[in-house]
Amino acid sequence: MATRAVDVVAATTIPKPKSMAAQTALVRIWTTGTAIICGALVLLMLLFLFAFAWPAIKYNGWTMLTSIYWNIGDQYATGTTVHNGVAAQPGANFGSLVFIYGTLMTSILAMLGAVPLSLLVAFALVYRIPARIRPGVNALVELMAGVPSVVYGLWGVVVLVPFIGQQLAPFVTSHLSGVPFVGGAAGSGNGLFASAVILALMVTPIMVATMRDVMLAQSKALYEASVALGSTSWQAVTRVVVPSVRNGVFASVLLAFGRALGETMAVLMVCGAAANEFPSNIFQTVNTIAAIIVSQLESASTDASGIAQRSLAELALILFVITLTINIIARLIMRGTDRLGKSNA
Amino acid sequence: MTTMLQEPPDVAVSAKLIIRNLNIFYGAFHAMKNASLDVPANNVTAFIGPSGCGKSTFIRALNRMHDLTPGARVEGEVLLDGEDIYAPSIDPVTIRHRIGMVFQRPNPFPKTIFENVVYGPRIHGIGGRAQLAEICERSLKRAALWDEVKDRLDRSALELSGGQQQRLCIARCLAVDPEVILMDEPASALDPIATSKIEDLINDLKKEYSVVIVTHSMQQAARISDLTAFFLMGELVEVGTTSQVFTKPEDKRTEDYITGRYG
Repeated sequence: MATRAVDVVAATTIPKPKSMAAQTALVRIWTTGTAIICGALVLLMLLFLFAFAWPAIKYNGWTMLTSIYWNIGDQYATGTTVHNGVAAQPGANFGSLVFIYGTLMTSILAMLGAVPLSLLVAFALVYRIPARIRPGVNALVELMAGVPSVVYGLWGVVVLVPFIGQQLAPFVTSHLSGVPFVGGAAGSGNGLFASAVILALMVTPIMVATMRDVMLAQSKALYEASVALGSTSWQAVTRVVVPSVRNGVFASVLLAFGRALGETMAVLMVCGAAANEFPSNIFQTVNTIAAIIVSQLESASTDASGIAQRSLAELALILFVITLTINIIARLIMRGTDRLGKSNA
Repeated sequence: MTTMLQEPPDVAVSAKLIIRNLNIFYGAFHAMKNASLDVPANNVTAFIGPSGCGKSTFIRALNRMHDLTPGARVEGEVLLDGEDIYAPSIDPVTIRHRIGMVFQRPNPFPKTIFENVVYGPRIHGIGGRAQLAEICERSLKRAALWDEVKDRLDRSALELSGGQQQRLCIARCLAVDPEVILMDEPASALDPIATSKIEDLINDLKKEYSVVIVTHSMQQAARISDLTAFFLMGELVEVGTTSQVFTKPEDKRTEDYITGRYG
């Protein structure tokens, strides 16, 4: 009698082992499957891009990486030029050096401003802002990260570009005329500097969020430990906090850098769409890989030989490789930090 | 409500810390209401009470850790050997040199075991390698960790177990040669064996130091402390010798807590 009662209780409250095993298997199949699909999608995109760009890669050779001239060729010519077995319109030349330079320069310049700013904001969020208003500030940071890039771009067109073109650039270029990268023609306001400012604004919230998490996870307890040992705040920050968050902060910077490299719309709206020449100073127009792909897409589709479109795909491939490299480096560093955090928990 | 008992307990030793009319605010929130307490030298004083009762808030006031909490305000007196640690002329850095603290979660620096222990002496200007090595060995021995780590002082402190990390944090605290050691639930993140090692250690430490410990375990307070203070909802309800508080509590709320009616 008693035994039976126990059996009944066991049968009703504890799930049967068989169905549990089935559930576990299902979850495993589902998660593994999703992981494989995600990885396969990235690989497929890369393969597709490579296959589509292949004629362009053959036609362009090293010219793509060494030339600054982008020209889809004479669309009204009757014959075609053939190079490495690939036909293009006469005069066609696809060099991306200006765009690679623009991509890297706008992003690097943006990071020069955004990294110190983000560090300060993240530090203030973790150490200085009262717990009561912290959620509000956090929400603001997340809101900033969620603003569509076209909105940043429009603000750039309406507010930032006129300010740079009419006030900042004339002032700076006239007062620092001899300084490289700064002195010279003031320009319209569109260009390298405007792009960098917009990019800095866009990546700052991302960096603040990740740096804040890194600091919260590790350094606040360490900061307190140091201060409790009789260190000054400065000693705590320089001897314990900075070394402990260095990897995480570095990874956060690289992730944001990757994001800045690929940003398209906002940059397209304020970069001035330069082609075939390098900017003579930071107030001159530039172009980035992402921006040129969008702005050239329509004229490339009119190219009779089709090689212009494939060259744009090759550009995309170059951007993909650049950002992928940056991301992989960032992930590797992050993984190192995780391991440190786990053994600390 | 008024606080019931504010007279210091009848202990035969001198008071190391005298706390009078301590009030702590987080913004507008009154987290500690007018608490007064004496911490005798060479004794273990335990703070007990349910979560959120203010015991951690109170202990953090004793080495001015609230200076680091934005929006926190401390009023009242905390006298260390008769000197108010909140006096304008006092540098909190020198206070924390004399009053050490061990935290709830082990928080070793991501450095070697050696560098963890000598961190405090280093920032206080001791630089000689031989002297630092001597301090390191002495501190680790006093924290009952020396035998377990003496062959791997140059390995990362993060490789140690949780209990070893906590004893390392105690060694790190001892290395600056404090007079008072504050411990904020030092064993709450540890397993029973590690906990018992920490408790043995605390019992040993009171020969040389005044120890104040926050604990949510009444059994732990009963095992290791000489005095017990009971906190409830931001109030210091009762303080007395541990045996008196646990066997003949004066306040009804203390009795309710001891007998397990809340918390």
